[in-house]
Amino acid sequence: MRRIPLLLLLAGLVSLAAAPQAAQPAGTESIRVMPLPRDGQVYVSFELAGGVTEELRETIRSGLQTSFAYDFELRRGVPLWVDRTIAIATVVATVQFDNLTRRHQMSRLIDGRVEDALVTENQAEVDHWLTKFDRVPLFRTTELEPNAEYYVRVRARARPRSTWSLLPWDRTGAWGHARFTFLP
Amino acid sequence: MALRLRDAEPPTPSLPDLPAPWPAAAAPRRRPFRDNSRLILSGILLLVGALATLLTIANRSAAYSPDFLVEVVLYALSVADVTMLAALVFVLARNIVKLIVERRRALPFARFRAKLVAVLLGMTLIPSVLVLIVGSEVIRTSADRWFNAPMDEVLSSANRIASDYYRDRQKLVTDHAQRIARMLPAELTGASVPMTSRVRDVIAPEVTLERLQMVAVYGVHRGAEGALQVVPVIDVASPNLPAGYSRAAADRLAERTASGGAEQRALETLAGGGELMRAAAPVIGSDGRTVGVVVATGLLSGDLAERSRRMTRAYEDYMQLRVLKQPLTGAYLSFFLMLTLMIMVGATWIGLYFAKRITRPVQMLSAAAREIGAGHLDRRLEPETADEFGSLVEAFNSMAGELAASRQKLEQSTYDLQRKHLEVEGRRRYIETVLERIATGVISVDAAGLVTTINASAARLLGLDPYATGRPAHDVLARRDLAPLLDLLHKVLRGRAEPPAQEIALMRDDREVHLAAVASALHGESGAEEGAVLVFDDVTPLIRSQKVAAWREVARRLAHEIKNPLTPIQLSAERLRRHFGAAAPATQALVAECTSTIVAEVDSLKGLVDEFSQFARMPAPRAVPTDLHVLLDDTLTLYNGLFSHLRIDPRYDPALPLVRVDPDQIKRVLVNLIDNAIEATSRSGTITIETQHDPSNNLARLVLADNGPGIPPADRDKLFMPYYSTKKRGSGLGLAIVRRIVAEHGGTIEVGENTPTGARFTIELPC
Repeated sequence: MRRIPLLLLLAGLVSLAAAPQAAQPAGTESIRVMPLPRDGQVYVSFELAGGVTEELRETIRSGLQTSFAYDFELRRGVPLWVDRTIAIATVVATVQFDNLTRRHQMSRLIDGRVEDALVTENQAEVDHWLTKFDRVPLFRTTELEPNAEYYVRVRARARPRSTWSLLPWDRTGAWGHARFTFLP
Repeated sequence: MALRLRDAEPPTPSLPDLPAPWPAAAAPRRRPFRDNSRLILSGILLLVGALATLLTIANRSAAYSPDFLVEVVLYALSVADVTMLAALVFVLARNIVKLIVERRRALPFARFRAKLVAVLLGMTLIPSVLVLIVGSEVIRTSADRWFNAPMDEVLSSANRIASDYYRDRQKLVTDHAQRIARMLPAELTGASVPMTSRVRDVIAPEVTLERLQMVAVYGVHRGAEGALQVVPVIDVASPNLPAGYSRAAADRLAERTASGGAEQRALETLAGGGELMRAAAPVIGSDGRTVGVVVATGLLSGDLAERSRRMTRAYEDYMQLRVLKQPLTGAYLSFFLMLTLMIMVGATWIGLYFAKRITRPVQMLSAAAREIGAGHLDRRLEPETADEFGSLVEAFNSMAGELAASRQKLEQSTYDLQRKHLEVEGRRRYIETVLERIATGVISVDAAGLVTTINASAARLLGLDPYATGRPAHDVLARRDLAPLLDLLHKVLRGRAEPPAQEIALMRDDREVHLAAVASALHGESGAEEGAVLVFDDVTPLIRSQKVAAWREVARRLAHEIKNPLTPIQLSAERLRRHFGAAAPATQALVAECTSTIVAEVDSLKGLVDEFSQFARMPAPRAVPTDLHVLLDDTLTLYNGLFSHLRIDPRYDPALPLVRVDPDQIKRVLVNLIDNAIEATSRSGTITIETQHDPSNNLARLVLADNGPGIPPADRDKLFMPYYSTKKRGSGLGLAIVRRIVAEHGGTIEVGENTPTGARFTIELPC
C-alpha cells in the first residue's frame, strides 16, 4: 500500500516530463501552410506571420545564434481515435549577426541537412529568411494513400527563448495546419 | 459422650486446571527505513552530492550556450522544482491528513503530535518561505542592476567604434576593388600585350603603395553550355602579407561575384592573428558582361583585429546577457527555489520524522499500557533506540513482566484458595450432613452465648425451632425442662472444667425422654475460647431396655424363687384336705374351704409365675414369610360370636406383601391388643384393625384402634413397662411382652389417641 503514493508521484513526474510532447497548441494559429503534393513529393510553402518580434531582433542583434525550428507532421485523421502520424520533418532557419561586420550569416536546414546559406546586411532579408519558405520538399508521397485526406501540422519555435516560466514545458510557439487530398 | 466423625475424607470436588502461562507476544516489526541510520546517512550524502552538483552547474551557467541553458538546464531545474514542490505538497498533505484522521479517531497522543508537527512545520516553512521571497527579490533586483544605461552606452559605443572601423576598412577595400575593376576591362579583353603583364601593371601599384595587401584578378569564361569558369589570371601580394591565408577563399569569392552573388565581401581570420578583408568587384566588359573579377585584400593587423573583436565580443556578451536576463534569472531563481524546496522537504520530513520518533515510543507505551490494563500482560515492546526512550521501554517491559509474574502468583493463590475453599466447603457439607443425619442432638453457641448450630436431631429431641441460630442460648433453651442443658452450657462458657455427662429427663409429646448430655468448650487456633458445644443423645430406648432387662431378670429370679415353693404348698394343702377328710363335718368344711383357697391361689400364682417366666425367657422368633391378612383372619375367628355388641372392623391393604414374622408370636401380640381393646370398650364398641403398606420405608403397618376411653398421655409411655397395668387384674406384663415381640421382629409399636376417642396402637414391621 505504501508504494502507491510513490507510484503516483512517479507517474506525475513522467507526465510532467512528457507534457511538452503532449502540449496542445497555445494561442491562435499564425503559420500559413500550403501543402502541394507533386512529383512524388509533398511540397510545403509556409509563412510565419509576425514571427520576428522586436525581442527576437534584439536577440539577433546580440550576436546569439537565433533559429526558427519548424516541426512538421504529416497526419491522417482516424475517426474516434488518435490521428495517425505518417511522417515528420524539421526545417530550421538560423541567423547569426556579427556585430563587428554588421552582417547576418543565415542558413537553412531540412532534417539536419544544410539546404541553403546566405550572408546579408539587410534586416528585411533576415526576416524573410526566417519566416517565409516556398515549396520546401518535406515528405514523399510513396506512403500516402490515393484519394485519402491528410493534413500537415506545423509548430514553430524560436530559439533561444528569452522568457522564463516555472513550468518546464514550453507553451510558446506558433501553430498552423492545412489539409489536402492526395490525388496521385 | 464423644461425637466421632467418620474417618473417610469428604469428597473433594474437582477444580479446573490452572490456566497455562500466556506465551510471550511476538515483538513488533521494525520500520526499516526510518530507523536505519545507514540509509538515512546515505540519503543525506546523496542530497549533499546533488546540491554540490547543482551548485557547480549554477556557477557555470553563464558559460553555457543559451540553448543549453534554456532548453536543458532551465528545463531540468524547472522539472526538479515541480518535483520538489510535488514532493513537499505530498509529504505535507499526507501527514496533515494522517494527523487529522488520528485526531478524529482520538488516537493516543494525536493532539500532542499534531501540535509538535505544526510547530516544527511552522519553524521550517515560515523561515524558508521568507528566505525564498527575500532571496528571489534580491536575485531579481541584482539581475536588473547588471544592466544599466552607462554600461549600455560604453559597450555600445565601443562596439560601434570597432564595427565602424571595420566598415570603413571594408569599404575602402571594396572601393579599391571596384576602382581596379573599372581599370581592367581593356587589359582583360585586349590582345596586343600579354594579359597578365598588363594586369600586373595595373594592380602592382596598389600593392606597392600599400593600399592593399593583395590583389587577385580572375578571368571569367563561359563554357560551351554557358557554364561560367573563373580562372585566376594573376595575383600580386605584398611581402608583408602574413602566411597562412587561403587562396581558396579568394577563389570562392571570385566565383560568387562572377555568378552574380550579392555578397561580394569576405573576411578571413588568419591563424597568426589579424584578419584579411576581401572585396570582389566584377570586371564588366564592353559588352556589358562580366569578363573578370578583381579580388582585393586588405589586412587588419592582429592587435587591431583582436581589440576590435574583444570590444564586439564584450558588447555581444553584454547584449546576450541582457537578452537572456530572464532565463538566467530564472535559472538562479529555479536553483534557489529548488534549494529552498529541498531544505523545506528535508526539514519537513526530518521534523515529521522526529515528531513521530518522539511520539511513537510514547504512543506505543500508551497503547501497551492500555493493553496491560485490559489484561494482556504478555504485551512487550522492543526498544528501538538506546536512549532514554529505550530505557523507558525496558522499564515498561520489566514492569509488565513483574505484573505478569504477580498475576501468575495471584492466580495460583486464587486457585489454591478455591481448592481449599472447596475442600472446606466439602468438609462443611459433610459435617452438616452428618450433623443433620445423626441421631445425636448438637447445639453450639459462640463466646457471646448466641446459638450458632442447632441440628435437626436437637430440634426434634428438644422441640426447638431449627432456625433459632443467632439467638441467645438462654432464649432458645428458656423452657424449664431445658434448664439443666442451659446450666451445662453456662458452666462451660464460664470457663469451668468440663462437667461430666448428665442424664436429663424431659417430657416431649406426652412422653418421657431421657437424654444423655455433655458440653465441651470450643477453642480457636490461639487457644481462646470461642464458645461451647452441647451434645446429647436420646437414651430413652436404652433406659427402657435397661429397665426391661432389669425387670426380666427380676421376673426370672422371681419365677424361679416363687415357683419352687408353690408345688409343696399346693401338695401340702391337698394332703391336709385328705387328712381331714374324716374329720367332723364342720372341720371338714373348714379345711375344704381353706385348702381350696390355698390351691386356687397357688394356681393363680403359678399362672403369674408362668407369665413371669415367659417374659423373662422369650424365645427367639422364627420368622417366615407370612400373609398378615390371613393371620389376622385366623386371630379374629377366635372372637367370632363372643361379644354381640362388639364390632371388629378389619381394613386390609391389598398391596401388603408377605412379611417375615413368627406367626405364633404375632398372633399372641394381636390377641393381647384385641383383648385390651375389648376390655377398653367394655365389650361394646368398635375395634378397627387396619393394614397399610409403606413402600418408601419398606414397612408393613398394622393399626389397631378402639373407641374406648383412650389412654391418658401420662400413662402412654409407661404402658409398655413391665408390671404397669390400668386393669384391676393381670400381671402387667402383656404389653411389655407385646413390645418385646415386636422389637425382636425389628419393628416398633406406638400408642396414641384415636379419633374421635379411644386408643390407637400402631405396629410397624419391616417388609
